[in-house]
Amino acid sequence: MAIRAALLLLRATPPQFSLKKRTFPKQALIFKQNNRNFAAKSSLEPPDVQRLAETARITLTPHEVEEFAPKIRQVIDWFGQLQAVDLQNVEPAIRADNEDETLREDLPEIFGNRDSMLAAVPSYEDSYIKVPKVLNKE
Amino acid sequence: MLYCTRKNIRAQTASQEKPQAQLKVSIQTESRKHDEILKNYETIIGIETHVQLSTLTKAFCSCPYNYGAQPNTSVCPICMGLPGALPVLNTNVIEYAVKVGIALNCKLSLSSKFDRKQYFYPDLPKGYQISQFDVPIASGGYLDVDIPIEFGGGHRRFGITRVHMEEDAGKLLHTGNGSFSQVDLNRAGVPLLEIVSEPDMRTGIEAAEYAAELQRLVRYLGVSNGNMQEGSLRCDVNISIRPIGQLEFGTKVEIKNLNSFSSMSRAIDFEISRQALLHSQGQADQIVQETRLWEEGAQKTVTMRKKEGLADYRYFPEPDLPGVSLTEEYVDGIRDSLPELPEMKRRRYEGMGLSMQDVLFLTNDNNVAEFFDATIAEGADVKLAANWIMGDIAAYMKNEKLSINEIKLNSHELVDLISSIKGGTISGKIGKEILFELMAKGGTVKGLIKEKNLVQIADPVEIEKMVDKVLADNPKQLEQYRGGKTKLQGYFAGQIMKESKGKANPALLNKILLEKLNAKS
Repeated sequence: MAIRAALLLLRATPPQFSLKKRTFPKQALIFKQNNRNFAAKSSLEPPDVQRLAETARITLTPHEVEEFAPKIRQVIDWFGQLQAVDLQNVEPAIRADNEDETLREDLPEIFGNRDSMLAAVPSYEDSYIKVPKVLNKE
Repeated sequence: MLYCTRKNIRAQTASQEKPQAQLKVSIQTESRKHDEILKNYETIIGIETHVQLSTLTKAFCSCPYNYGAQPNTSVCPICMGLPGALPVLNTNVIEYAVKVGIALNCKLSLSSKFDRKQYFYPDLPKGYQISQFDVPIASGGYLDVDIPIEFGGGHRRFGITRVHMEEDAGKLLHTGNGSFSQVDLNRAGVPLLEIVSEPDMRTGIEAAEYAAELQRLVRYLGVSNGNMQEGSLRCDVNISIRPIGQLEFGTKVEIKNLNSFSSMSRAIDFEISRQALLHSQGQADQIVQETRLWEEGAQKTVTMRKKEGLADYRYFPEPDLPGVSLTEEYVDGIRDSLPELPEMKRRRYEGMGLSMQDVLFLTNDNNVAEFFDATIAEGADVKLAANWIMGDIAAYMKNEKLSINEIKLNSHELVDLISSIKGGTISGKIGKEILFELMAKGGTVKGLIKEKNLVQIADPVEIEKMVDKVLADNPKQLEQYRGGKTKLQGYFAGQIMKESKGKANPALLNKILLEKLNAKS
């Protein structure tokens, strides 16, 4: 569970690790822009692992918090390095990718293996998925 | 404020009646006091609308969506959020979003993207909703609305803050008293447009009319069925009041569970009263930022949940989907293909000399407007065509619960009917009879006239024969008439009309009858 939790916390970052050289500076610009808002600070805020875990609905032991904090801190520091990139002559982009848009035609298709998918639902009754009663969002 | 004006009229009418019971007097005083309180406050209303797009498949997978289908039948690994499944955007979602963006006079983002909005709830299988956050596909537009005469009339323009694409969540049912809820994921992943208005509305009526216009707009565009009962059009209202003259806004309350325009209007009026009362009693601090539910049975709003600060959705760009880019050519192509929208249609009909009441009726339903347009395109008189559609045809549709496309009458036959009456072939009364036959069974005006031998009798000789017969059959009444009881003319006219089976030309009939009646006196 804890390993999954760490992955989840890092989920926001994968594009940065697999960036193609060509697209690198564009993405970096966003961080540069953000940086302007924190002009007074020399580095990014250290992570509040306990709060991050709460928002991800994950329970961490104090030991785990201690263990993850430096690792997450390290990731954040990598972003700190990106802020050093000179972006004076780079056009802003809202996405890191340069992929061509892949779109799908609006043609219905029924998924063939539905029964085995529903059979894997932990609690399924009378055509409904059964979940603990929840009445309030957030 | 419109609301106050309407209330005052009601109060005035009440005061003109002699109060019959002490109770009535006290209610009246209460309501006047209430109106006095309301006068001191200004209401600010903004509306967030979710429009379910009528695409055949979901936003990011090929599952078909049909309202009312067996639960959990239209699901696949993508909309069930199974690991490894990747979303692929439905091309029609972009097209519909662009249509709505243009129709709402928005600025389009040629380059936008999807973001993840994360929260935990059982109807959201992935643990996040694919939505658009900081770069919506359209923003900064407006919607023009005509307020019906009975609510004070007038034209309003309400600002549109933004339009963005997102996916719907599943349906959560809290049936029975068990400790569990049931989830149906058929709706999970169905495409929605979220349309956010500027805080430009001031009354329940304005809010309801804004929503009604949005419904008309999406129906005209063919991007949604706009059905509120089925949840294809869902409005959440944000409302705050402030003492007149105060610059800063009051505390904002959100109202949900509004499934008709009238409940929307009533919920807002209730909420205005509730908040004004708290203000006037010095308890403004009791108005807290919260979500309230409209209870239709009790006709009041109740607390659903209090907001504890801004929810942290930890938005970030959706890594599983590429950005959304539009070209100018694509946008122009869609702009050129848009149908005539409700506002343009209203202005055009107004220009044809129709009253605002006629205009609002005819443009309310796109199909009715198309029927009307087809009728006048064939040369029918504008006012006559409007009267037939708004009168007998509308009444029939209402009684039989049919839409204009479901009745058997087509626009061509209505044109024929109108001209047959105008040209004197049939009388207006027979025209009505034929109309009902045409609506129920179909057929043609010419065919029915021939089949039923309904052509108006306009031959003086033939009418004279009938007049003679009726006069001969009623010697007593004839004598009375000639004795001065001239009112009997109507009796004779009725008898002759009956004799002709309603087909005699009324003007000619009366002319000949009068000649005969007064001839031998």
